[in-house]
Amino acid sequence: MAKAILFDSTKCTACRGCQVACKQWNNLEADETVNTGTYENPPDLSPRTWLKMRFNEVEDDGKLAWLFTRRACMHCTEAGCVKVCPTGAVYHHEEGFVAYNKDICSGCGYCVDACPFDVPRMVGSSLTGKKKMEKCVFCADRVTNDQKPACVKTCPTGALVYGDRNEMIGLAEQRVDKLAGQGVDAQLYGKDELNGLHVMYVLAHSPKDYKLPVNPEVSPSVTLWQDILKIMGYAAVGAVAGGLLLNYMVARARMVKEKEGK
Amino acid sequence: MAHHEVERFSAGARLFHWVVTLTAIVLAVTGLFLWVPAFGSLAEDSYSRIIHRVAAVILVAAPLLFFLSRPKRALTFVKHIFTWGKDDIAWLKAAPDYYFGGDEKKMPPQGEMNSGQKLWGVVAFLSVIGFIVTGALMWFAKNSIPAELFLWTTIIHDLCFIVSASMTLVHLYLGAIHPRMTESLKSMLRGKVSEEYAKSHHGKWYKEISESKENGNKEATGSH
Repeated sequence: MAKAILFDSTKCTACRGCQVACKQWNNLEADETVNTGTYENPPDLSPRTWLKMRFNEVEDDGKLAWLFTRRACMHCTEAGCVKVCPTGAVYHHEEGFVAYNKDICSGCGYCVDACPFDVPRMVGSSLTGKKKMEKCVFCADRVTNDQKPACVKTCPTGALVYGDRNEMIGLAEQRVDKLAGQGVDAQLYGKDELNGLHVMYVLAHSPKDYKLPVNPEVSPSVTLWQDILKIMGYAAVGAVAGGLLLNYMVARARMVKEKEGK
Repeated sequence: MAHHEVERFSAGARLFHWVVTLTAIVLAVTGLFLWVPAFGSLAEDSYSRIIHRVAAVILVAAPLLFFLSRPKRALTFVKHIFTWGKDDIAWLKAAPDYYFGGDEKKMPPQGEMNSGQKLWGVVAFLSVIGFIVTGALMWFAKNSIPAELFLWTTIIHDLCFIVSASMTLVHLYLGAIHPRMTESLKSMLRGKVSEEYAKSHHGKWYKEISESKENGNKEATGSH
């Protein structure tokens, strides 16, 4: 049964307890940052920051709206990172989320560029190419032991909930209806995007206002590389090898004949 | 005919050839770790990536060193492979009859390299440039170029591989396996071919070097 995290942006106060819980449970060091005049901190995801809250300031009818979004792996069903990974290090866990096996990660970093949400981060040396990918692991060690992910567990306002994906969709749709009744143009993000995300959001504005891609998709060049170019390569090399073998047999038979003729 | 031999590849050219051969094999094998899922685990902990990078540096350095040590020879080679004429079209047309059936009659006389060798030269030259440009972008500009461009550099890198790997098979076959190419491999190992072989396979070139020998001008042969 697929599981999911549901984030309700209308209940989030941006306390960032989830960020801290994530670091604590997964034993991730803090990133040293500087004050840039915003509560938003650290500025971006990193190999040791798998979850951060993004603060978006948008104008709504001349009034300022302060919108909070969760920045972390969305655990897509149609996942660019899983599709592009050449070694099979990034894969779908049977519970639906996107897991990775760090041991066989080659460090190519193709997942970084294939991710529609700009989530994976690489740690290591760019010069030697010795790197590893890091991102949210959905607290696999907790959820496979009937525990909520650390971020959900710590959330004080109930903005984060966790459970069977179908139940989460039901919960989210109820919430969207309730918000609609209050005159909020709310929507559920992630139900159908990329064949269903395992992290879904209840949003009170358009995804764009939260800096989320409105129609996220896996770049066609990932499919071109994995499904077309590789087959083309096998076909081309195979055809050439076959042609040369044929040539060898014909040319050799011809030479034997010439010798016999002499 | 007595065993007269002519020099076809200088020691420097042969060294260059075999260094590039070895480097290309290392690059191809370590690159294939990311192509063939069954080899994926061999790329573990980035070791193949480190080896790939060391080999890449050699692939850039070898032609540069060759060019710096013998600029005239390097330029002649590049000019030669990109110079195509009527004889080349005729050669390509007649080639299947020769390589399958041994029919030599229609083959126009060839220079130092025949049209097939020139075609291989062009493919190798252009694909190495493609490899180096896209490879350098992947290596040094991964974090600064847009994601989509990065995905395309991998596609172009791999296209270069498909084309050059296919042609490498042809090159390997014609150089070392085809029953009529008796002296090709030998010439790249020892540098010399028999006069007969030079006359029948590279008529124009043989004429050039015989004439320049008579004039006592060894430099013009382009093979020293």
